[in-house]
Amino acid sequence: MAKPKVGYSRRSLLKAGGAALAASTLPAPMLWAQETKDIVLRQFGTGVSNLNDVANKVKEDLGFTLEMTALDSDSVTQRAATQPDSFDIADIEYWICKKVWPTGNLQAMDVSRIANYDKIVGIFKSGKLTPDSEIAQGTAPHTVGFIPEPGARSFADSETNWMTLIPTIYNADTLGIRPDLIGRPIESWAELLNPEFQGKASILDISSIGIMDMAMVCEAMGEIQYGDKGNMTRDEIDATMAIFTEAKRNGQFRAFWKTFDESVNLMASGEVVIQSMWSPAITAVKSRGIPCVYQPLKEGYRSWGGGIGLSNALSGMELDAAYDYINWYLSGWVGGYLMRQGYYSAVPETSKDFMTENEWGYWFEGKAATDIITSPTGDKLAEAGEIRDGGSFEERMGAVACWNAVMDENQYMVRKWNEFIAA
Amino acid sequence: MDRRPRSFYVLAAVFGLFVLFLYGPILTIGILSFQGPQGGLTFPMNGVSLYWFRDLFEQQAVGDIWGAFRRSFALGLMVMVSTVVISVMAGLAFRKRFRGSGLLFYAAITSLVIPSILISLGVGLIFNQLGLKIHWATSGFGSQLTWTLPFGLLIMFAVFNRFDKSYEEAARDQGASAWQTIRHVVLPIIAPSLIGVALFGFTLSYDEFARTLLTAGSYNTLPLEIFGMTTNVTTPVIYALGTLTTLFSLSIIAAFLLGAWIMGKRRARLGSDAGKGV
Amino acid sequence: MAIRAFANRHVAGWVQAAPLAAVLLGFLIAPIAMIVVVSFWGATEFSIYPAFQFDNYEFLFGSPVTYRVFLATFKYALITWALTLTIGFTVAYFLAFHVRSLTMQVALFLLCTIPFWTSNIIRMISWIPFLGRNGIANQTLISWGVIDEPLEWLLYSDFAVILAFVHLYTLFMVVPIFNTMMRIDRSLLEAARDAGASGFQTLVHVVIPLTKPGIMIGTIFVVTLVMGDFITVRFMSGSQRANVGRLISNDIALLQYPSAAATAVVLLCTVLIVIAILLRFVNIRREL
Repeated sequence: MAKPKVGYSRRSLLKAGGAALAASTLPAPMLWAQETKDIVLRQFGTGVSNLNDVANKVKEDLGFTLEMTALDSDSVTQRAATQPDSFDIADIEYWICKKVWPTGNLQAMDVSRIANYDKIVGIFKSGKLTPDSEIAQGTAPHTVGFIPEPGARSFADSETNWMTLIPTIYNADTLGIRPDLIGRPIESWAELLNPEFQGKASILDISSIGIMDMAMVCEAMGEIQYGDKGNMTRDEIDATMAIFTEAKRNGQFRAFWKTFDESVNLMASGEVVIQSMWSPAITAVKSRGIPCVYQPLKEGYRSWGGGIGLSNALSGMELDAAYDYINWYLSGWVGGYLMRQGYYSAVPETSKDFMTENEWGYWFEGKAATDIITSPTGDKLAEAGEIRDGGSFEERMGAVACWNAVMDENQYMVRKWNEFIAA
Repeated sequence: MDRRPRSFYVLAAVFGLFVLFLYGPILTIGILSFQGPQGGLTFPMNGVSLYWFRDLFEQQAVGDIWGAFRRSFALGLMVMVSTVVISVMAGLAFRKRFRGSGLLFYAAITSLVIPSILISLGVGLIFNQLGLKIHWATSGFGSQLTWTLPFGLLIMFAVFNRFDKSYEEAARDQGASAWQTIRHVVLPIIAPSLIGVALFGFTLSYDEFARTLLTAGSYNTLPLEIFGMTTNVTTPVIYALGTLTTLFSLSIIAAFLLGAWIMGKRRARLGSDAGKGV
Repeated sequence: MAIRAFANRHVAGWVQAAPLAAVLLGFLIAPIAMIVVVSFWGATEFSIYPAFQFDNYEFLFGSPVTYRVFLATFKYALITWALTLTIGFTVAYFLAFHVRSLTMQVALFLLCTIPFWTSNIIRMISWIPFLGRNGIANQTLISWGVIDEPLEWLLYSDFAVILAFVHLYTLFMVVPIFNTMMRIDRSLLEAARDAGASGFQTLVHVVIPLTKPGIMIGTIFVVTLVMGDFITVRFMSGSQRANVGRLISNDIALLQYPSAAATAVVLLCTVLIVIAILLRFVNIRREL
């Protein structure tokens, strides 16, 4: 199916993943197999997980049609908030959920219909990875993950039977670097504004995420002490923007990026040597044979999580199909190949069956690879003996300093962000 | 013929550089689209292959190139036909110097100079507030017309400025009705220019980006898809797409030129029959 | 009878102009009106609500960034205009006065216009492999020994933005200038030469004044295209530079429609004033 090749493309990567795992299919309920064939669910979200191969696999396993539209984060927010009739399933991030939920465009999901609910990691339920972990600042998923009763426009403080989004993927983000071009250890977020990298740094142009990267940097530099990074005051926003605006005027940044593929191009072409980056982008750069490290930093990670939400208009057989889809999503196939790109699955246990022991050890447990780690297309990502940057799931997700956030002063922040981009 | 002055050679060199400047980058991506399967977005070439063209015809990880192409083609044809018809009618109207023509003319000029994103924003807002669904064939179509119609209108002005009114007078003297005059005299005379209007209509629509940005709805047109790909694609497949769309645009132009040439031939052949048809 | 003819003329004119008027009303006038209205509205995170407040304008005029961005927009327009005019005039002059056979003129003219018909975005991104830090331009210069270090300012800079503008829009200068030049009576040039004018004098005193309408039309195109652009600036500066169009598109991306509308109103006024001034120098309808 997939020709061996070194050039990375997600399409071929996923395709091969599909081939390897095609044997495992969920038995579709035979009774209404005929009707399901005609069902079309329209899903939209970011390019991260809105992949045509997921749709193909759904058609194969569940029988109905999933139409995918991939957009950038801002457009996703826009569509979820303003065009409720243009989608059935929203694949969005938790901070987007905080913005969109009050519009009433989404409906809560009945937890009792989610087969693998008990296996979903604690981060999405109690907010704690382990019973004694501390909850990071920002819009942590559990704070916007539940509502008290169906139809409620506000969030519940603790677990209820009604979930806003079913968590699907998440990760701990940090800075990506080109070790070959930097030539020394990088240990702190503050390095992003180090004049040494003038004209070779980059940050992402998505306000809710970028502001958190900025906060990590300013805090690490010792310039600003935030009360709560996830909910800044106007003064804190102004101070943060002032530092970055000055850096921008001084030519610190080569470019800003909006979708993760742009960050791949910037890094691979050597335009940028240090930047905020997402995990699969690192994988993509590495698979071209270019050294690239997802550098763990002493201040910790900035984390994000995504989930699937259902349109309020969904009902009847379409709604049943959507629940089938969600249960399928959590049953392991999708989780398996997302994990092999460096993301985490919300239900890691089920994904384990779709990965080799070596892959599971490397990606999840932080063990040294026992054999070459390859992307499913056969591109070498790590040699035997190498360890994933940042280590195991617990080490990485346990060191989260903040989540992508929507603040009380969000509108002010957005205007300031726009100024920063235009400055 | 006298000898070329020295300035000719200087200017010829400047012209040559200009053409190189125009075509250089396109040639660059033309060459890069033949990258080997392991090649990246930049030089050096990593082997030569048709891999990325083949890749283009397979399903991409995200998006739907061929659907976008079909939509852009359909939209281009719709805009082309509407532009020709509406421009000709408006061109005829302006010859009459009807009341309000000045106002309409300035509206058309405004339509030409207004930043495209404003049309996009405004139309998007109107549809949004009226609760209408934006779609490339409705809101997108209308937005594109605001760009193609002024061009069509200006071409019609150029045409009618050069139009010899005595043909019409002759037709009227022969007892032709207003409609017959237009149908059998005016239209055949301006027909070759209409090919120009059609060409403008189609290609301006086919390449239009900003005016469709917020008005295309759920389904992308080709330029929007290409725009998406510039941020979503990390392989030379985007160059392959660039090369193919450029070739497609070129073949459209060639088709129009051929059409104009054939028409010219036919007219030359039928020239002696002029007037017999009426 | 005379009155009937008069009425007929107007009615027929109105009927024939109706489709154009309808399209412009629906997709030009109404959207502009909507933008003006919305510029006074308020916005929440995800929606806009009717109001009559000046917040958006206050924020716009209260921010020093606004003035810098407008200044940058004018700067791009002015530099691009000067470059496209110089190049466009030279090319048109060569085509019109130095190429002798009509066939050759048409052929070379077509050669220049063909890229115009292809995708702007493709033409824009095709510069990127050329100008990058490890791009063709830098590699060539380094291999020639002209420079030791790659030039950083080739890509993601004002230079790259203006280069792309010139690349995309010079044609809008060439076409109208060429068009007017072709209509200049050649005997005027001979008269000038007979009167003892040098080539340069003929150019300055005969050709340029007679070409002015074409120059004006080209100027209108280039200035409005550059002032309204938002995508070239984003691509070629790697989001590092901004013009007004980008300010608007950023606001749109962040769902701040009223704020975008306010900026749009100011931009529209600016463009219309510039065009009104330019139109004083040329009667477009007569010059086509």
